[in-house]
Amino acid sequence: MSRDADTQYREGVADALSRGCELASLYASAERGVQGVRAILREPDGALHVISTAVHGGRVPSLVDIAPAAEWPEREAHDLHGVQFDGHEPMRALIDHSGDLPAWTVPVDGPDAYQIAVGPIHAGVIESGHFRFHVVGDRILHLDVRLFYKHRGLERAAVGRSLRDGIVHAARACGACAVTNRVAYAHAAEQIAGLRPTPEVARARSLLLELERLWSHLNDIAAICSGAGLAAGNQRFAALCENARRLNAQISGHRLLFDSVHVGGSHLDLPEHECRAARETLTRLQADMTTAWRDLVFNASFQDRLVDIGVLTLPDAALLGAVGPAARSTGIAEDARTSQEGWLAYDGFQPAVGDRASGDVRARFEQREIELRQTFALLQRFLAAPIAPDACMPGGSAVARAVTRIESPRGATICALESDGTRLDRLHLHTGSYANWPILARIVAGNLLPDFPLINKSFELCYACADR
Amino acid sequence: MFTLLRDLRRLRRQLDLPASTRGRSLAIRHVDAGSCNGCEHELTLTSGPHYDLQRYGLGLVASPRHADLLLVTGTVTTRMRDSLLTAYAAMPEPRRVAALGNCALGCDVIAQPGEIVGRVEDILPVDLRIPGCPPSPAQIAAALLELLDRDPELTSPGT
Repeated sequence: MSRDADTQYREGVADALSRGCELASLYASAERGVQGVRAILREPDGALHVISTAVHGGRVPSLVDIAPAAEWPEREAHDLHGVQFDGHEPMRALIDHSGDLPAWTVPVDGPDAYQIAVGPIHAGVIESGHFRFHVVGDRILHLDVRLFYKHRGLERAAVGRSLRDGIVHAARACGACAVTNRVAYAHAAEQIAGLRPTPEVARARSLLLELERLWSHLNDIAAICSGAGLAAGNQRFAALCENARRLNAQISGHRLLFDSVHVGGSHLDLPEHECRAARETLTRLQADMTTAWRDLVFNASFQDRLVDIGVLTLPDAALLGAVGPAARSTGIAEDARTSQEGWLAYDGFQPAVGDRASGDVRARFEQREIELRQTFALLQRFLAAPIAPDACMPGGSAVARAVTRIESPRGATICALESDGTRLDRLHLHTGSYANWPILARIVAGNLLPDFPLINKSFELCYACADR
Repeated sequence: MFTLLRDLRRLRRQLDLPASTRGRSLAIRHVDAGSCNGCEHELTLTSGPHYDLQRYGLGLVASPRHADLLLVTGTVTTRMRDSLLTAYAAMPEPRRVAALGNCALGCDVIAQPGEIVGRVEDILPVDLRIPGCPPSPAQIAAALLELLDRDPELTSPGT
């Protein structure tokens, strides 16, 4: 009986993958005391569906051989929920930090091979995480990443909280993705409650999502300049980032847009004169950005620094489940903003892919600017009319589980919720950073160690929303 | 670049920060003990052109061995506790600790109890508290300058 169920689970996922679905996330849950594992699949048209299996005797078949994106989620479910995944060998520790080196690193051996340990405390203002480089000379053979130093157990702490209040757990996961995580949670909670945003609520949330992308992409360009040692570019984009955060404060009352998204409606109140002021600020900001960008484009020694390093190929990006600017800069025209019909105000939005799409640091760098142009245009559109507070409307029957997918500045973030209608049974966040971390770790192999900071900044992933 | 520099003079005039330098310095080592990344993003901008803390002699340094001040963000997680204590142990005397942000101060912490140790002051002597979620670069800058002014031992010229 249990064997049949396991076979159905694995075959169900294999079938979905063969018709073009992608494994978007996987997590362990204990609904009404029955432990299960749920694989979240994304159809080519963006629709999400879940294939579940019960955990029998603590064991479930692994998906990692047919969907490499299952690697971190299965290791997480093992470390936090004790699930054994048959076929996932070796099962290396991910969140469990109690073991010694062999428990979590890949053995690398040979003449002149040695290890360089970096972190968890880094040399700059950087979040905590540990990198163990296996190198020969300056050449990286392999990188083992150990994150989760900042694991705060936010998901487990959310169990039992009300559907409305649980949003703070999603928000607290990451200050840089606070809006994305909140919108992903709010949409899931509203699906469970049988609600649906009005066009006004959808526009307010879309505005906040793009404001988050604006400061974040400006920050990423500053960070890439810093990684390449171009202080002037770094300072200039840091100034633009500061101006974007001041605009956030002007619009939402908070520089990082905290507490601006709520379950069941929107509190954002922007009368015409405030919209006009914001549009004018954005016009100035875009002009300043364009000038600053031109100087970077025509800085040949800086541009040379970015070419052909940290290459993520299109086949690898597709196979490993890359998301966001990192995936689009390889040529994958996928963006979660295209599949939010009725829930967000992105009608007519098309994913942006650069002409080059070469998957290296330069492509990821250029991708930010391409997306910033879209973001400026979207912001002008969202601010074209006043925004008033509004409540969600009834929109279908209440359900026990919901999964949503929202485009964060770093890529699509999945939020899965399970609830009895009032209390949370399970909150799971699979952020864009979480999806891209193992890919970053993989593609640095073959690159030079001194290039790592630059490659790392070209992804500019959050540690906090991976660690949760 | 020239446009930016001209703008900066105007922008800095609007800030409530002192115009003069201090003739002293403070070397700061930041440690993220379990933050949400919000404090890091605001702290980073204190080195940006608007605030430019370097002009007051305040600099972020790469090693705790070079630092006068340990600037800690986040609620302290069990996994970061030992690294935080190691960084503190590596600092020369006189040394000070600042808790940056509400989580580091133990306010409004959201976490599973077993995964966190608690506030920064539960494991280290805290000399400077900078509240906010996150505190803005201007608030961070003002608090650090206030420490520089009130703590003669920390910032006295070499003796």
